[in-house]
Amino acid sequence: MKSWDLPRFERDFFSPEQPLTRIGDGELGGKAQGLVFMRRSIEEGLDCRDFPGIDVAIPFLAAITTDVFECFMQDNNLEGAVGAHVSDEEIARAFLKGEFPTPFVGDLRALAAQVRTPLAVRSSSLLEDSMARPFAGVYMTKMIPNNRLDADTRFRKLVEAIKLVWASTFFQKARTYRMVAGVKEGEERMAVVVQEVVGLRHEQRYYPNVSGVARSINYYPSGGARPDEGVVQLALGLGRTIVDGEGGWTYSPAHPKSPPPFNDLGELLKITQTQFWAVNMGPARYDPVRETEHMVRASLADAETDDTLRFVASTFDPHANRLVAGVTAKGPRLLDFSPLLRYNQIPLNAMVRGLLGACEAALGDPVEIEFAVTIGRAAEAPARCGFLQVRRLAVAEGRCDVGEEDLAGENVLVASESALGNGEAQDIFDVVYVRPEGFDPRATPQVALEVSQINERLVDEGRPYLLIGFGRWGTSDPWGGVPVLFSQVSGARAIVEAQLPQLRTELSQGSHFFHNLTNLRVLYLSVCESGADLVDWGWLNGQPALAETGSLRHVRLAAPLRARVDGRTGRGVVIHG
Amino acid sequence: MTRRPFNLFSVARGQFERAADLIGLEQTDRDLLTEPMRQVIFRVPVRMDDGKVRIFGAFRVIHNDARGPANGGVRFHPSGTLDLICAQAMWMTWRCALLGVPLGGAAGGVACDPHGLSAGEQERLCRGWVRANARDLGPDVDIPEPDLGTNPQHMLWMLDEYEVISRGRRPGFATGKPVGMGGSLGRREAAGYGIVIAVREALKAAGMRAEDARAAVQGFGTVGQPAVSLFQEIGGTVTCVASWSPSEGHSLCFRKKDGVILEELAGVADRFGNVDPRGAEKLGYEVLPGEAWLAQDVDVLIPAALDNQVTAENVANIGPRVRIVAEGADGAVAPAADEVLGKRGVAVIPSFLANAGGVTCSYFEQVQSSMNYFWERDEVLGKLDVQLTGTFAAVSELAKKRSWSLRDAAHVIAVSRVAEACHARGWV
Repeated sequence: MKSWDLPRFERDFFSPEQPLTRIGDGELGGKAQGLVFMRRSIEEGLDCRDFPGIDVAIPFLAAITTDVFECFMQDNNLEGAVGAHVSDEEIARAFLKGEFPTPFVGDLRALAAQVRTPLAVRSSSLLEDSMARPFAGVYMTKMIPNNRLDADTRFRKLVEAIKLVWASTFFQKARTYRMVAGVKEGEERMAVVVQEVVGLRHEQRYYPNVSGVARSINYYPSGGARPDEGVVQLALGLGRTIVDGEGGWTYSPAHPKSPPPFNDLGELLKITQTQFWAVNMGPARYDPVRETEHMVRASLADAETDDTLRFVASTFDPHANRLVAGVTAKGPRLLDFSPLLRYNQIPLNAMVRGLLGACEAALGDPVEIEFAVTIGRAAEAPARCGFLQVRRLAVAEGRCDVGEEDLAGENVLVASESALGNGEAQDIFDVVYVRPEGFDPRATPQVALEVSQINERLVDEGRPYLLIGFGRWGTSDPWGGVPVLFSQVSGARAIVEAQLPQLRTELSQGSHFFHNLTNLRVLYLSVCESGADLVDWGWLNGQPALAETGSLRHVRLAAPLRARVDGRTGRGVVIHG
Repeated sequence: MTRRPFNLFSVARGQFERAADLIGLEQTDRDLLTEPMRQVIFRVPVRMDDGKVRIFGAFRVIHNDARGPANGGVRFHPSGTLDLICAQAMWMTWRCALLGVPLGGAAGGVACDPHGLSAGEQERLCRGWVRANARDLGPDVDIPEPDLGTNPQHMLWMLDEYEVISRGRRPGFATGKPVGMGGSLGRREAAGYGIVIAVREALKAAGMRAEDARAAVQGFGTVGQPAVSLFQEIGGTVTCVASWSPSEGHSLCFRKKDGVILEELAGVADRFGNVDPRGAEKLGYEVLPGEAWLAQDVDVLIPAALDNQVTAENVANIGPRVRIVAEGADGAVAPAADEVLGKRGVAVIPSFLANAGGVTCSYFEQVQSSMNYFWERDEVLGKLDVQLTGTFAAVSELAKKRSWSLRDAAHVIAVSRVAEACHARGWV
């Protein structure tokens, strides 16, 4: 989308007439484009009567278009500073030394001079423009408190944040992602969105009461939920908790009162959110290269002090062994969002459904949205929902039938009744797997490192592979699976998560890991210990190893594997020979 | 000191009187503001390289310092006249007031041709100028800055001499010093950038996109080159540049209809920005007579070289497409031409608004020097842009509201502020 669709920034960030503006005349990139596109749909297509008491709007933003990025690169001769073997830190330092392009510096200065609320500086890459290829979490987002009294400091921090987001275009994670996605180096250009952070200040913390990621299609429906009912994940504080896969409360918008599957309340207490992210409004250690320089991870006790638990928590009553909505009683808190989802203190779920519906109608495809909600302290004050992002979800085309009989057929290496994705992957000659006999849940960070090394080699050689391991791939909890980033397994064409009794985890539906997985059409097969699910470990162990470590084996096969997933039934199978 | 046929001070006074009439300024205010508060004419003896002593005529004028310490350029130029210096000092007063910068207006110089002086002679001249005038200079009194014929090195020599006399480090004594020696990043290009920022805002006001705008620039030195650079960066095209040609003894224009390429043209220019016509021709530029820049098919004219360049005689040569004239040089548009342009609906951005980038950055430099803490270049230029844009908006709004020219509106704002300061101090 060309920037002409968005008015120029006229040095009034909080202009009620023009809440979305641009600095520069280049392109807007995917994120900004999505928001501009959705603005009218939200204003015109959303029936707010369905969720009274909540004001929905896109937070004020100024998009810095791609020509500013190009100017910056050119003026500072940075093309030579972003070679493949330059470390992320060196790239970031080189960018931070660069001078911001003169024609745009006045607008930015004016923005810094008049805005004193926290700002999020987000990437809005041009490749996201295609919408079918969202680069979720590939580039950096930097939050800045922007609360210093002098405009000079606010300006400097804003410029630093923009430069860092620009620099992240060339970080290793982004390069790998582009390589896997088949994008040539040099094709990516970056716009940046400078957006007001939706939240409220509590002493030195600034955060929303609720952050959420919602999808109109659910790749992992549980219980009686259907895929087309969608899925929502909520968290207290900034949305980083969700997108980094650190937990949150997952539910179906069609069944908001149904909790995710759990064995007992003790397990639920373990799997729900126990910490949250906020913008740090106080002093921070100067480290402009760190994405979380001005962010702080806080505990539920902090939230209790801030009085922000009352809308999102229940209290565990050990005598009755049950949860009581709210925080009036004493006891361990559990973030199940009961006051909102069960007792409808504000009609949050209706709003989410309304937003999903409006976005799907506008884009004509399944969507993923991000939002943040603040609930004022005064009872009569309306809640405010900031609509932060919309992405079109890539849906694999074509049918790929996998029947029940296929799961029990000959030469089945992996069978799964809960597979993610749709389609077929052929020509897989390499299998990298975690040895069941050598697996130690305490060593998952080491496994991640070893997988990453093999992945890098295979990506360089252009060899797709099948990856098999235990627990949740991409989890941020090392006890819940292998804590890899997507870039560390980016060459895998199909991924299998097998289950061990000591590793049971819930999905992070909104995480960037899963988003990237599905949008790059990586097949994901979840194998449990029951039913038709299986991994033929014996056959795998019988293949000669190309490389072997304490916990991993890498085998190269004489004949290719064929992985198939039926998106309609959720069945998946990998066949050898 | 000689009086020239075109008396710039008369022009400046005429503009002031016009503004004074518009706001009904009292006679005592007029009497105070129509003349400089102080004019000092002095002699600077300099021992030349051949051992002889030569006496140079020098001067310093403070027009008004009611709003803060005086500030103004020191020019080394053979045609320096007291009238011209008085006019510059007056415009500097208005410029600082218009920008809201807490400084007064001054100007000064030495009647000399620096090209005919060795570096050592220039250094001794600078030191002599400071010695002769030291008691009336200083960061809290009167702050020199570079002007025609002077540069950061001259300012550093002056600073050094002043620090010897005042027995201490006084980095706020002068502005336009070398970067790393008390100078500010962005100062070198500030004057040229300031012109383009004003032009950018004028284009917006005229409902034009910078990307569609073409410009011709007179002058290719320390003001012209940054102006060309930023105009191109904001998307515009500069098709013609005029510069002095020492080999020809007159000015010439260099035209490339697709747009001049700054780097290549600067590559065939000397350090003063004088373009070598043969070099330019080899690069494919048309070499045209010196006044041809006026008659180009462009939207914007930027006279950024000398005063009295657009006159009653040549104003009719200005092309019909021209919508904006930005006075990069003080007094570049003569009053008679100003009137004609006004009738044609051309927006003339007066020099004390168009070329205010230099003094704004001088002020920033003085602030930085006083703190001994220096800002990044983008911070300096960001502030500069905000300051100039805000000032342009205020002038433009008043001009629109009262159906005045930009020059009248700017004068009214500035003169009112200075008069208020004089009243507040109890001077009048």
